[in-house]
Amino acid sequence: MSILWTLLWKDLLTEWRSRDRLVAMLVFALLVVVVLYFAAPPGQAGTAREHVPGLLWVAYIFAIVLGLSRSFGMELENEALSGLALAPVDRGLIFLGKAGANLVLVLIMQAVAAVAFALAFDVNLGPVALPLAGVAFLGAVGLCSLGTLFSAMAVRTTNREMILPLLMLPLMVPVLLGAVQATRGLIAEGELPFSALQLLLVTDGVFLIVSFLGFEYVLDE
Amino acid sequence: MRSGVAEQQRVSQAGPAIEVRGLTRSFGPLVALYPLDLDVPSGSTLAVLGPNGAGKSTLLRLIAGLARPSAGTIRLGATQHEGAPDDRLARRRRIGLIGHATFLYPALTARENLILAGRLWSVDDPEARAATLLDEQDLLAAADRPIGGFSRGMAQRVAIARALVHDPAILLLDEPFTGLDPTAADRLTVQLKAARDGGRTSLLVTHDLSRAAALADRTLILKHGVARPIAPEALSSRDNLDAAYREAIASPAPS
Repeated sequence: MSILWTLLWKDLLTEWRSRDRLVAMLVFALLVVVVLYFAAPPGQAGTAREHVPGLLWVAYIFAIVLGLSRSFGMELENEALSGLALAPVDRGLIFLGKAGANLVLVLIMQAVAAVAFALAFDVNLGPVALPLAGVAFLGAVGLCSLGTLFSAMAVRTTNREMILPLLMLPLMVPVLLGAVQATRGLIAEGELPFSALQLLLVTDGVFLIVSFLGFEYVLDE
Repeated sequence: MRSGVAEQQRVSQAGPAIEVRGLTRSFGPLVALYPLDLDVPSGSTLAVLGPNGAGKSTLLRLIAGLARPSAGTIRLGATQHEGAPDDRLARRRRIGLIGHATFLYPALTARENLILAGRLWSVDDPEARAATLLDEQDLLAAADRPIGGFSRGMAQRVAIARALVHDPAILLLDEPFTGLDPTAADRLTVQLKAARDGGRTSLLVTHDLSRAAALADRTLILKHGVARPIAPEALSSRDNLDAAYREAIASPAPS
């Protein structure tokens, strides 16, 4: 456990000093809110509100891809990733540390973007804030686990910023389906659909296990 | 968990510290390292010499476990490259690598980088160990500055400290004198001699024949991925080593 905290500490401290990933994700997500706000036809705010769950996750997914594409960037400088690979720690822990740090940044971005969406589209998220946070968390776990694995795979390629979304987006469909359905259920009906929750939990479990086990091989040359 | 050298000495009773058999590495059609057999006795220093692109760094990365061999085996004491997970961890615990790159995080300070390494290697009291190593490298004054602002030589000194943080039984050194000023280079030479005298096994890749002659017990020359051993007498002086090196490089590859 202390190794995991050490790895989390390293990533979050590095991000705190540079703030490049969090700022990039926040700016991108807020830009999406602004663009969608101005794209909504005047006088049809109600129609736009119906699409908030989908629009919210569009902002999330692209901001997450942007953030994850840079998550191994700091490991490239001075070949720090090789230094990490030399350490006598289970590489699954290295994955969990990296994915955990990504998750923290993504959760911050999600909270800020959700507030921005609520204000822009006049949606009262207050009554469903807690379950909505749970759905955002589950969605983020799935996206960050597989995204971290793919980010590690793409980091040594020349076109990594292009390769990551190509690898990641098709496999993210189940997570996005579950997350959007759950968010729509919460915002429209105030209830969390069980099938969506089930889908999120299953995909999270599968993605976490696959990524944890696969990271050993990805970290090798 | 700073028992590396003692552990190595125990292991050495069963065989060499590094035992390589038929080690080969190819990148597609390009063969970087032809089948190589190598024994490095415990407590000795092997200098690996050769022109650029000869396969020296590839050999080091293979032994460190940063690359997988195309064929062959590498044993470090009782551990093997393709061993069980626990075996792989034990193997990594035994190695300290100073590579071409420093393996340091530029946003972290020198002290934080060493504490990070200490925690990853489960060193007792990483903070105290980091302070000791920074003192040894004469870096205490710069300890709390981010590595990103360091000169190449200063960063290299932190990299040396990082490789030593867990007191490894085997040191793999890839051009460790790169960027060091004469004082720091001399200090490293003294440290490497002390390490050898203390029973630590080292594999030193260098172009500096003087340092190789001063530090090594044995020499291996690589050219185009093919090993060309030279007689131990060549290490008696820098001039002898230079002559033996030039002769080995000029000679045709053994069939």
